[in-house]
Order: sequence, then C-alpha cells, then structure tokens
Amino acid sequence: MQILKVENISKIYGDKKNARQYRAIKSISFEVKEGEFIGVMGASGSGKTTLLNILGSIDKPTNGRFMMGGKDIATLSKKQLAKHRMENIGFIFQNYNLLETMTLKENIILPLALRGTGVREMEEKVFSLAKDLGIIEVLEKYPYEVSGGEQQRAAACRALITNPKMILADEPTGNLDSKSGKELLDLLTYINKEYKATILMVTHDVFAASYCQKILFIRDGEIYNELHAGENKKQFFDAIIDVMSVLGGEVR
Amino acid sequence: MKLTALALRNIERNFKKYAMYFFSLSFSVFTAYSFLALLQNEQVSMAFAYDTRYSAMLSTFGIIIMVFVMFFLISSNNSFIKARKKEISTYALFGMENGKIGRLLFMETMIVGIAALLVGITSGIFFSKLTAMILLDITMASYTGYISFFIDFPAIYITAMTFLIIFAVMGLAGFRVISKFELADLFIADKMSEGRSKGSILLLILSVILIGTGYFLAFFGSPRVVVISSIPILLLVISGTYLFFWGGLPKVLSLLKSNKSSYYKGVNLISTAAFSHRMKSIGSLMATIAVLSAVATTAIATGFTLYTNLEKNTYDMLAYDLSYRDGDPSIKEDVYAIFKKHNIENIELYTADRYTAQVGISISGLDNDEAGALFGKEEQFIVYSQSVYNQLTELSKNDAKPVEISSGEAVYLGFYYFPESYLKQILGQKLLLPSDTVKVTATAKNKVASFGDRHSIILNDADFDRLLKAGDFSIISEGQQSAGAMTIINYEKALSSHQLNQDLYQLLHDKTKGLTLAYFHYTEGLEVFGLVCFIGFFMSAVFILMTASLLFFKQVMAAEEEQHQYKMLRKIGMDAHTEKQVITKRLFPVFLVPLAVGILHSVFAMKTADTVVFSNLIPVENTYLTVLAFSAIMYGVYAVVYGIFYFITKGQYSKIVK
Repeated sequence: MQILKVENISKIYGDKKNARQYRAIKSISFEVKEGEFIGVMGASGSGKTTLLNILGSIDKPTNGRFMMGGKDIATLSKKQLAKHRMENIGFIFQNYNLLETMTLKENIILPLALRGTGVREMEEKVFSLAKDLGIIEVLEKYPYEVSGGEQQRAAACRALITNPKMILADEPTGNLDSKSGKELLDLLTYINKEYKATILMVTHDVFAASYCQKILFIRDGEIYNELHAGENKKQFFDAIIDVMSVLGGEVR
Repeated sequence: MKLTALALRNIERNFKKYAMYFFSLSFSVFTAYSFLALLQNEQVSMAFAYDTRYSAMLSTFGIIIMVFVMFFLISSNNSFIKARKKEISTYALFGMENGKIGRLLFMETMIVGIAALLVGITSGIFFSKLTAMILLDITMASYTGYISFFIDFPAIYITAMTFLIIFAVMGLAGFRVISKFELADLFIADKMSEGRSKGSILLLILSVILIGTGYFLAFFGSPRVVVISSIPILLLVISGTYLFFWGGLPKVLSLLKSNKSSYYKGVNLISTAAFSHRMKSIGSLMATIAVLSAVATTAIATGFTLYTNLEKNTYDMLAYDLSYRDGDPSIKEDVYAIFKKHNIENIELYTADRYTAQVGISISGLDNDEAGALFGKEEQFIVYSQSVYNQLTELSKNDAKPVEISSGEAVYLGFYYFPESYLKQILGQKLLLPSDTVKVTATAKNKVASFGDRHSIILNDADFDRLLKAGDFSIISEGQQSAGAMTIINYEKALSSHQLNQDLYQLLHDKTKGLTLAYFHYTEGLEVFGLVCFIGFFMSAVFILMTASLLFFKQVMAAEEEQHQYKMLRKIGMDAHTEKQVITKRLFPVFLVPLAVGILHSVFAMKTADTVVFSNLIPVENTYLTVLAFSAIMYGVYAVVYGIFYFITKGQYSKIVK
C-alpha cells in the first residue's frame, strides 16, 4: 500500500523577487510503500535535510504535491500540520533528543500526552513497547542516568508509540560510535520487521544505508540515482560506495 | 576586532535582554542617588538632622539599599553570564583565553553600568525636587516652604564611586563564573540536571509544622507570648519557608506527578517536568522573595497605619490641644493675648483643682504577681469628683466616656500605658481612705486627665464633698509631683499652626508644670512614621523591581537552555496553542508561588506586629483589619508589578524558544 507520494516538489529559500534566491530542491518525485525501509543519501548541501523537513511536514514545499493519507500536506495550515505530525509521523533524532527534564517513561508517552490519550491506554502501550525493546527496568530513570543504548531504545519507543504511518530518522547514527550505531540499525531493522513500521532514514553513512531496502541519492536538489538491496549485502554496500564516490560524499 | 567594539556589538545584539538589566540598574542608581541627595538637601537636613535618631535611620536605610543592590547585581550578572554560556564557549573555542573573555564581559558590564549610572543620576537630579517634596510633605505637619531644584555633587561622587566598586566586584564574580566553565560544557551542556530535586516528605511536613507553629503562636498566642516569642516566630516562619522551597515544594510537585490522569496531559507533563527540573536553582530565590515581601509589606503597612492614626493616637494620649498644671492664674490673660494675635476665636478653656489622697490597698496574692510592684500597701491617688471628670470627658478630643457612680463606689483610672491585666487586679478591691472605704466597681485607662499620674479614682459627687470636708484630700501645689490646679485648652489650628504653638510653648513652659501640646506630639509622630513610610515605600520599590528582574533573568537563562526541547516538541506535534499553554504553565508558578506565600506570611506577620506594636505600645483600635486592608492595596501593587514582569518574561521566553 502506498503511504506517501511526492510529485515534483521544489523548495526555494529567499524572496521570490530577490535575485539571490536559493533552490534547495529543484524537483523531486517518489513514493513510499508501507513497510519499506528507505534511505536518503547525499552530500552536505544536496538538499536531503530540506527534503526530510518537508516529509516531516516541518517545512512546506514551494511547489508540487505531497500526498499522504489521501491529503495534500502542502496545503495544510500550521495547526493542521502540527496535528498531522502528531498523528502520522514518528521522529528519531540525532542524539535521540530525549527531554532531560523527564523520565524515560514520560518521554515515551509525550506524543500520546499531547494528543490527550487516556492514562490506561498510555500505560499499556508504554509497557508493551518497553518490554519488547528491553527498557522496562529503567523506565522511571532520567536520560542522563541510563546508557546510550537505553536512550536510543527509549527514543525508538517514543517514535513508535503513536503507531505512525512513517518514522523519520535524521542521521540517527551521526554521533554514535560504531557499536552503538550498529545497535541502533539493528533496532530500526527490528521495528521495521516486527512492527511493519515504514522508515525513512536520512544518512551519509554508507554502512547505515546498507541496512535499507532502497536508497535514494540526492544531488543538487534532484534525485540522482536509486538503488535497491539485493540478496547480497556486500554487493549492495559496494554499489552504494560507488554511487557515493561519484556524488562526493564521505565514505566511512 | 577590538574588545570594545565586540562588547558594544554584543550589547547591541542583546539589546532586549540588556534593556531589563539596564532598567533595574538605572533604578538602583536612581534610588541611591536620590537618597544621598536627600541626606544633603538643606531643607531635609534642617528637618531631620537635628535629631540623630533620624539621621541614623536614614543612613541605615542607605546601607541596606546598597547591600541589597549589590546582592541583586551580582546574582543577576551571574545568571546573565550563564545564559550566554554558548556564546562564551564559542569564544573559548576560537582560542580566546578566559582572561580575555572575562575582560570582554567586564567591559560590557562597565559600558552598561556607566550608562546606567548616567541615566540614574540624571533622573535622580531631575526628580530630586519631587522626592524631597514628597518626603517633607508626608513628614511635616505644616510644611509649605519652597524646595529648590538641586544638584548635589557630593552625592553624585559617592553614588558613582560606590557603584564603580560594585561593578568591579561584579566583574570579579564574573571571572569566577567563567573560570568554572569547561569548554566541554558546550557539548554536554544541559544533559545533566542542574539540580532536580525529588523533595522529601519529611522536609514538607517539617516546613509545614515550622510555619504552622509560627502562625499559631502569632495568631492565638496572648499578647505577652507574642511579644516574648516574636523573634522565635520570625525564625520559625523563615526557616520553614526556606525548607518549603528547598524540599517541600519539590515534594508537592512529585505528588502532583503521581496523579497520572492530570499529570499525563501534554501541557501539564511538559510544564511540570520543566518547572521541577529548575526547582533547586530557583528555590532559594523564591523563598527569599516570599520572606522579604512579607517583611516589607508588614513594616510598611504597620508604619502607614500608625501614620494615618496619628491624630487619633495623639488625642488618645493627650486628650486636649494643650494642658498644664499649676501656674499663676493671671497667665491665662497672656494665653488669650496670643490667641488674639493669631486670630484664633474658638477657644475652650477649663480649669479645675486636683486633689490627692493617701489610699491603703490590700490585695491578696499581689506579692507574687507582676502587678505586685504596682500596688503597694499604701499609694498616692489622684481623686476626681464625678462632675469634674465628666466635664473633662466632654472637653476631651478622644472617646473617653462619662461615668455614673453610686455612693460608696469608685472608678479606678490607671496610667495610659498600663496593660489591661494590671487594671483587672484592682477591680472589686476595697480602697481605704482615711475616713471611709470605697469599692472599685469599674476600671479604665486614664485618657482625659493624665499628667503622668499612675493611679486615679473618681468618686460620687456627694462622697467627694463629704471626704473633702473631712480632710481626706489635699491640694498640693508647689514642689509636689502630680497635683495642683490644672488647665486645659482646646483651640483652632491646634495641629497646623507651627507659630501659634511655638508662641504658646514659649509663654508657658517656664511658668507652668506638666505642659503638653498636642502639636508637638503629633509632629514628632509625623516625622518618625512619615520617615518610616517613606523609607518603606522606597525600599519595597527597589526590592520588588530587583527580585522581579532577577526572576526574569533566571527564566531567560532557563529559556536558552530549554530552547532545543521546544524545537523537539514541535517536531513531535506540539502546536502553537499548546506551546503557549506550556509556557504559561511553566512560568506562572515562578511568579505566583513566592508572592502567594509572601501574602500568607504577612497576614500572620501583621497579626504579630499588630499585637506587639498596637496592643502593647500604642493602643489603636481595630488595627488588624486596617493594616490588612492597607496591605491588600500594597499586594495589589506587587501583583501588578509582578504581572508586568511576568508578561515581559513570557514574551522574551517565547521569543527565545521559537
């Protein structure tokens, strides 16, 4: 089932009349199906962060259509956008971005609390997710009291708890050492498989990208190439490196 | 780029933040200058300097203000530096040494400080006439003189020097804060709680018990208990308040958190968590605000009540515009001449003889009691007949009531300052006069004929005449302390004409005994309480502005650190409306809680002050409600000022987290 479809979206920063306007995205079209784990790659300045912001409906495209759940997201008001984000999208940020003022449990239920979900439903969801991801022991602890891996899993729980149509992960391995990075990627794979979660991950880490089923390469605001994972993971990894060396992104 | 240029650019960029800082700073300079200038002002020093009490009071006030200003400036400066942690770390990252960063901040402080010094002193000079006029107007009964606009160079010098020293101390304090920064803080900043405190149920209970005991003593204790334990009450409540803000309030918050159905609503969850996260860093400030606002309000309200009750209080004590004992009867002609000279026509003059008698008292059990010292076996009593006393009550300007006495009975009048408990001792006792015995059937404080007499009695007219003939009483004139003919006079302009009263004083003070003039009592009270009120208002204005802006700084600092949280919250779907609610709930308690605790404190503190000051020292009736009503107005003003600061803070906070 199709979850999301973007058609010819573009994003221009700066005054339209101003000659010094900057086209972050020229024209991009693609679609995402349910249960897909998609990677978006590109060098710095290629427009991938802008694309992520548009997909996360934090920003609106200047032109083009962005369909999700039968609605054109680009036409929604600010308030509707907030609602849309709350209901349909889960975020996993670089550094996990857990609120240090709250316990892990409070962090996880935050999206539900903002929606006004009942206490019992929240508790049930937190416990089943936390149990599954193995953080039930540390639920009452504050982020700085637990390990990085536990923070990671709490962040994943927070993204999953609303049963979002799509999870957006913005450079999730960016600040991690290779061991924690691998743990996170395994976790994403796990929730992709077990929860049938649709994941869209922006990264410039080739190793991280090799976990995806499909990769979109962006260059100068356009889709430059598209790769699909095959049977052989090594082959896929090599293919990604080939494309990235052409794009000029760093290879880790 | 030179440091000066960088400093100027920083100020320009942070103008909004600096504006508040600048305003508070200017106001403290303004206060200090106005104050020093007042001390130097010719008219003011003429009015007050003759009495060392007043100049001591004014100087003490000056020192308190300075200490307060210093406390405020140093803590706001430290908050300010912390709020700029990122900026400072960036300088460090680019290789600027700590010393140089310190110099940069010092320079910024100096630039802002010197500008504030100029603005403060200029407005001080500009308003000098007004402040002097207000002071003289509320403290002088008959002040009509012209006050010149004045520039006071010694005051400018002292103000400037003092503040430069304070700024230097601030600069040094800043260096200390910077030297504590680690560059790594830039990256791990905010990960650690800056003092989230879970609170403790023990502290909560203890603080409630401490405050409750203080309240209980203040409210239900007998006047004696309250007077003796006023310092313990103060200590109980103050320590209770600090414990409450350190350990009790965090516990209250964690109890609130345990009510999940209300806590797990988005807005409550975010704001309560953020507030309790900051609890430790702001707890002391909140406690200080609560205590100081209670103290200030109580002091001012008490002073103001005394001030407004001065006229009543004067006549409660003195009863007439003028009274004296003894004196040649012919002196009355000279008194009339003075009234004529001043065109005073409405004059009441009454003269009566005063008699004294040796009275034996036998009160059992008095030896062990505090009243034992008061009533010996034999005492000298002043004796009035009912008709003379009733004539006196009629002329008196207070609420003394006429009496109706049966034969064989007497009404005892005690010295004005005797507590009620002393009067009770003698009620129902027999008084042994040389040729008869009378029974005391009623007692009262002597409000109409007190020439410093300790004991007086009023007798039925017939009894009085009979005993007088029997030779029980005697008129004692020259050489005796408390008897002789007495003269009382009421006249127009008694409390407003300085010259008239001065003339009467010149005429009478050598030629009569026990001369009292309501005017002098009244004006002295006006000076003392007027000064107290003036100082009180000035001080609470400084105090409220400083504490409010300190809260402002703390919140702005917090906003810088909470910025990223809002960014994240917006991503997970917090809309603008919810965000507004979160910010409101996050900031409102910061301003409300200390104010509310302060109000509660002062309700009880005023009861203590009322008991100590009014019931024991200066009897004024129903003062508690008057004081309370007056302080309600003061709290209204506090609330408005805090409200304004709350909205400014909210605006700035919202802007930062956007």
